[in-house]
Amino acid sequence: MISIKKLPIKQVSMQGFLFLFIFFIYFNLEAAEGAPCKDYGECDEFKHSLKDMSSLQSGASTFLTYCYGCHSLEYSRWNRVAKDLQIPEEIFFDNLIFDPSIKPGDLMAGSMSKEESAEWFGVAPPDLTLVTRLHGSDWVYTYLRTFYEDSSKQYGVNNLVYPGAAMPNVLAALQGNQQLTCKQVPIIANNGGEKRDNSGNPVTKEKCGFLNVEEGTGSLNQEEFDLLIYDLTNFLTYVGDPDKVERERIGWYVVFFFIIFTTLSSLLYREYQKDYH
Amino acid sequence: MADNIAKVFNWVNHRLPIQNTYERHLSKHPVPKKVNFWYLFGALAAVVLIIQIVSGIWLIMLYTPGEAAFSSIEYMMRDVDYGWAIRYMHTTGASMFFAVVYLHMFRGLLYGSYQKPKELVWIFGCTIYLAMMAEGFLGYVLPYGQMSYWGAQVIISLFGALPYIGESLELWIRGDYYISGITVNRFFALHVVALPLVLIALVFLHLIALHEVGAGNPEGVDIEAHTDEDGVPLDSVPFFPYKVLNALVGIGVFMTVFAIIMFFFPEGGGYFIEYANYEEANPLVTPDHIAPVWYYSPYYSILRAVPDKLGGFAAMGAAVAIFFVVPWLDRSKVASIRYKGILSKIALVLFGISFLTLGYLGTVSVTEHRKTMGVICTFIYFSYFLLMPIYTSIEKTKPVPDRL
Repeated sequence: MISIKKLPIKQVSMQGFLFLFIFFIYFNLEAAEGAPCKDYGECDEFKHSLKDMSSLQSGASTFLTYCYGCHSLEYSRWNRVAKDLQIPEEIFFDNLIFDPSIKPGDLMAGSMSKEESAEWFGVAPPDLTLVTRLHGSDWVYTYLRTFYEDSSKQYGVNNLVYPGAAMPNVLAALQGNQQLTCKQVPIIANNGGEKRDNSGNPVTKEKCGFLNVEEGTGSLNQEEFDLLIYDLTNFLTYVGDPDKVERERIGWYVVFFFIIFTTLSSLLYREYQKDYH
Repeated sequence: MADNIAKVFNWVNHRLPIQNTYERHLSKHPVPKKVNFWYLFGALAAVVLIIQIVSGIWLIMLYTPGEAAFSSIEYMMRDVDYGWAIRYMHTTGASMFFAVVYLHMFRGLLYGSYQKPKELVWIFGCTIYLAMMAEGFLGYVLPYGQMSYWGAQVIISLFGALPYIGESLELWIRGDYYISGITVNRFFALHVVALPLVLIALVFLHLIALHEVGAGNPEGVDIEAHTDEDGVPLDSVPFFPYKVLNALVGIGVFMTVFAIIMFFFPEGGGYFIEYANYEEANPLVTPDHIAPVWYYSPYYSILRAVPDKLGGFAAMGAAVAIFFVVPWLDRSKVASIRYKGILSKIALVLFGISFLTLGYLGTVSVTEHRKTMGVICTFIYFSYFLLMPIYTSIEKTKPVPDRL
């Protein structure tokens, strides 16, 4: 006869509850709360490279040429950017700063007054120092590449990531005219393969919402344009968290220190434990 | 020379109980010789408290309260050498403080650390937790980001749900007709002076009361029952150096985790620093989704589980307040979960699950389904406490060993 006492009740019940817990959590994980990049769906992945100075420099140059006219980086300073991006101050000032009254230690406070721009655009263009920390770099990288022509809007463009964005597509001359198009896509059958008719030809349906650039309308091809946006987003990622590289460098030493500390103190503790074991 | 030092020491010692205090609380203070890792979180909480006080002092040197708060944070993060280190130390510390305190409290429930004669230790502890919640909330408002603003809006408006005095109380707390720089100023004063004083006083009482009745152990054995001829428990070791060295190992592991978060993941995936807080407070724009930081989210879920605003506020308050009476709800003859019956074990596991689920639900937006889950878990949460007198008295307990 099996004695009930011998059953590992404790373990069985604990495991049961563990399963119940996982079930509870799983039960709660419903569909995501709307895609992060809205009409575009999931954002395109962006992997920063904060040690790539030429990428950061090119991003800074794009920012100051195309964005800084409207958007400020009001928590960042000119000379800090020049130093971190390893641009000699002289070259930086001669080529990238267009206002002679700016001093090296000034904040990058923008070139438009907030009151006036709010009147012109309806809302003042937001400061972008922290944009990558607020929305994430993936979001910024995707947003800048998903403007499309929409004649119903004030500036003739709309955006998939930020529908109704009150911003003109400043980079249209580089990218070219991007439109939303429809195309025929194969229908996926129940068995997971493409659906085909009796004679073996794929059955298709029309699907819309694809971005397509009119060929020859932009000065850059798609690859070059994506790279430009990559560099720009990389620069904005740096501006959002300028100490990231330095912080992580120091971090390794600190973590290493505490691992040594833990090892030594546990050896010492073990030695002292012999007193009473 | 040595003679002179001894003379000075004796002179002081006759007027100030240095040696007595050292012996009573450190070198001769007996602690159980066999405890497990659950008994480290108290020491870790003390470590985080020190981290918070020291990093906080440096933050005050750099921070400007009022409506300039947001830019003063960015100033210290960028223009001050290692300003980011001080600030991330404080934000990481806030989350870690709650993490270790939650684990410390769970240890209490696990091993009955509130049972006679430790009721006062437990009550001081609950009061510390309450003060911490207030301290954390006030501190969260100080960076004056969007989530600071709207989080404060939600919490302060709860007081408005109180009958008769509600509206004037809200106005009195804010010091303005809406949350503004004036509110930030007063929250700053409370966060850096008033509540830290209360916290330190409570921690002092918590420790003094603990040293009076003695620390517990996972077996729930009363070590005072077997003592040597000097009255020192046989199953104890002196606090210094044994307990200190034990804690040092725990502190080492903890600080490694702390450093990994602080230097590599200071935002904790949006849980330690919410992304929405990287936008300055804007009274005219409500964020899509207002979520509290993770350490309040179980209570936020309880608040949302009750449809009525005042009722929700009351339920939330009761969920915290009920901890205070746990010493009188537990009717068990044994302290430790190891010797309690199956009912207590089931109850504690269910409580843990419901607490974690409520925590998760508090960070996401409400759907019909999640609302039901919230109600069920709130029900389990309160049942754990309210049914405790019943299940702890009817279940069969195992005999507790004599010695540790």
